[in-house]
Amino acid sequence: MYSDLLHALPDVFAWTNFVAVVIGVIAGIVVGAMPGLSATMAISVLVPFTFGLEPLVALGLMAGIYNGAMYGGAIPAVLLRIPGTPAAVATTFDGYPMAQKGEGGFALQVAVVSSSIGGIASAFALMLLAPPLSKVTLLFGPSEVFWVAVFGLASIIFLLGGNPIKGLISACFGVFVSVIGSDPIYGNDRFTFGQLEMLDGINIVILLVGLYALPPVIDLLETPLKTGGVNSSKLGTEPIWKALPRMKYWKTWLRGSFLGIWIGILPGAGGSMAAFMSYNEARRTSKNPEKWGEGEPEGVAAAEVANNADTASALIPALTLGIPGTAVAAVMLGGLLVHGLQPGPMLFRDNPDIVFGFMWQFLFGAILLVLLGGSLATNSFARLLNLPRPLLGSVIIVLMLIGVYSIHGRMFDVYLMLGFGAIGWVMDRLKFPLPPVVLGLILGGFAEENLRLALRIGRGDPMVLFQNVTSLILVALTVAVVVGPTLKKRFIDSRKKA
Amino acid sequence: MINIFKKTAIAGAMILSAGAALAEYPEKPIEVIVGYSAGGGTDVMARTAAPFIEKYLGEGASLVVKNMPGASGQIGVTEAANADPDGYTLGTFNLPGMMARTIDREAGYDRDSFTYLANVVNDPNVIVTSKRSGLDTLDKLLEEAKANPLAITVGMSSLGGDDHFALIKLQQATDTEFTIVPFKGSAPARTALLGGHVAMGILNISEVAEFQDQLNVLGVATRERSEFAPDLPTFQEQGLDLVNGSMRGFIAPAGLPEDVQAKLIDAFSQLSDDQEFLDAMAATANPVEVVTGEEFKQLTSDLYDLANSVWQTTPWN
Repeated sequence: MYSDLLHALPDVFAWTNFVAVVIGVIAGIVVGAMPGLSATMAISVLVPFTFGLEPLVALGLMAGIYNGAMYGGAIPAVLLRIPGTPAAVATTFDGYPMAQKGEGGFALQVAVVSSSIGGIASAFALMLLAPPLSKVTLLFGPSEVFWVAVFGLASIIFLLGGNPIKGLISACFGVFVSVIGSDPIYGNDRFTFGQLEMLDGINIVILLVGLYALPPVIDLLETPLKTGGVNSSKLGTEPIWKALPRMKYWKTWLRGSFLGIWIGILPGAGGSMAAFMSYNEARRTSKNPEKWGEGEPEGVAAAEVANNADTASALIPALTLGIPGTAVAAVMLGGLLVHGLQPGPMLFRDNPDIVFGFMWQFLFGAILLVLLGGSLATNSFARLLNLPRPLLGSVIIVLMLIGVYSIHGRMFDVYLMLGFGAIGWVMDRLKFPLPPVVLGLILGGFAEENLRLALRIGRGDPMVLFQNVTSLILVALTVAVVVGPTLKKRFIDSRKKA
Repeated sequence: MINIFKKTAIAGAMILSAGAALAEYPEKPIEVIVGYSAGGGTDVMARTAAPFIEKYLGEGASLVVKNMPGASGQIGVTEAANADPDGYTLGTFNLPGMMARTIDREAGYDRDSFTYLANVVNDPNVIVTSKRSGLDTLDKLLEEAKANPLAITVGMSSLGGDDHFALIKLQQATDTEFTIVPFKGSAPARTALLGGHVAMGILNISEVAEFQDQLNVLGVATRERSEFAPDLPTFQEQGLDLVNGSMRGFIAPAGLPEDVQAKLIDAFSQLSDDQEFLDAMAATANPVEVVTGEEFKQLTSDLYDLANSVWQTTPWN
């Protein structure tokens, strides 16, 4: 197998294949940076065109876009508190406060370096460990996957700080949105009001753009004209190699990479859950957790390393089992199919040059990210912020409308997005946290579907949910997340009294 | 009187213009609506077939695939059913799904909404069991199913699809009962089988071809052995009358001008003898079985009747 890996390398450096990766990374950064345009969409638009391309050109473009977009999402997250992709939600926590303090340039540099490290770690996992890791995926049947989703939701609600009750209400709203559409088992319509457009459920990008992009835009337009642009005076003044020594986040990078890879190989959860878990863990083990959320660069590192670490690893179950770990991986699977690459154990034997070449392209995409992303982001995107506020706000609104319309090419989605925007604005004003809504939508449907499958397998007996070690470990973790903070607080209080 | 003149004049003009159009059909690009996203099985079929249809339609013909994903293909097929029947809008068609959807929900079309061009792919069902289940032959499986009704869990891609109908046929033929576990798509169902989370699965032959070593494939629901996997026995060889599969083809709106219809059907019927096309389809795991025109219509009708009779006795939602 490892000789196959080396054998595939020369093809990757054929100039057309290499240029494809470069173009992909740049396109990915741009797409990721636009609220409403996501990697999933960019790749689905690309798939029909790849019919006529050489496999490695097509796959190189996809690998580049995927890597680029996962970082690109951080750019508006840092500069405007608008996550460009669902996975960049956790990047807003510390990235935006940094930008407000005038450290936006450094925040972007941390983001690009962390993204690149996560991507490289993930590519290595895909190259070297795909077959053994796919066995791990097999351990997760419906009941285990149900507990993964419950654990993810519990973490978001209880660990994100602030008010758990408000977190719970936000998460419930997200879970409710996940219920809209066809019933996962019987296919009946639920809350679709007879609209064919709603039968497939609410696309996560529509919710994300509405909730996250509209309220800041309203803020931008509300503030008086005299303030001019956003503070960008300290952006991009320092070259990236001079900023590098300031980044001492090895532990966070290591942990985030591990979490990202791990969550990537589990079907369905994807980059956003990885970023949240990594952020939570990094904050929990930090010496000064109180500074988190106020512009701690390590928070940006934690989120960005993890959301890139799930890119290549999400392809492990996709290539070996045909089940994609993320929505993007699902579209890429289509791209592979177009070239006659059938997922499965035979894939590695039948088409080693293409499969391993694709993996190399992932690695190079991640490395290129630092070279291309560093200068592109700080030099061009950050300057957007020098635009006068009303102009900036209008540009973002136009991008939002185009992005959401282009998902399915229908106005219905635009109205839906504006509706979520209104809800998001109200929630923002009432200080309800928005991340649990996003995770509620992603994990809610997942939890429901798998719970019902598990109960069917157990023929209605709920004990089926507790019948094996993996499930029990996940249950224990969930309990720890829910009661842990309270116990810790009591413990500290009692020591204070004594 | 004037009215009659008017009518004849209009009718005459229509015939003339239709005739003019027909003489050169196709004189502009033909749109093929695919109800699924790019890269899916149906999309790959449409895009693989398109250049060959262009070739057989003759000089200058051009097919443009348009993806309209959503609602299990409903949005796309409804669009195709309601398009102008001028031969410039075709659509893909999936059986038994497209017919089942007219039974289990309100659909914007029925079986008379289409001009049936050709069914191109027939992906037969297979019964597989998990290596962990120990049920490595059809006899063992049926014995266990008879001894313990509902004890065997069956993973499949959805209710009301080809997998489900195959299971219903199996239950009726052998007087057994299984517990259905409908996953969202066949890949998760297959993964649950590989992990031993369900005991048995009903999938399609293209979906298990790459996984033959990790699963027990008990039989194929075809009359003759599939060229796709000639080593696998059919159920009929094993004394079980079970023939079922997932079909994908092409339709146009009902009321297509006869010449256009004839020209299209002629183009599609040439696919079955085109080795280059067959090779391309084999590479994308699409077992080809071309059935055109009236025969395709009859096939659809039969499947509708089957789905309807199943629905009457055991509705799936």
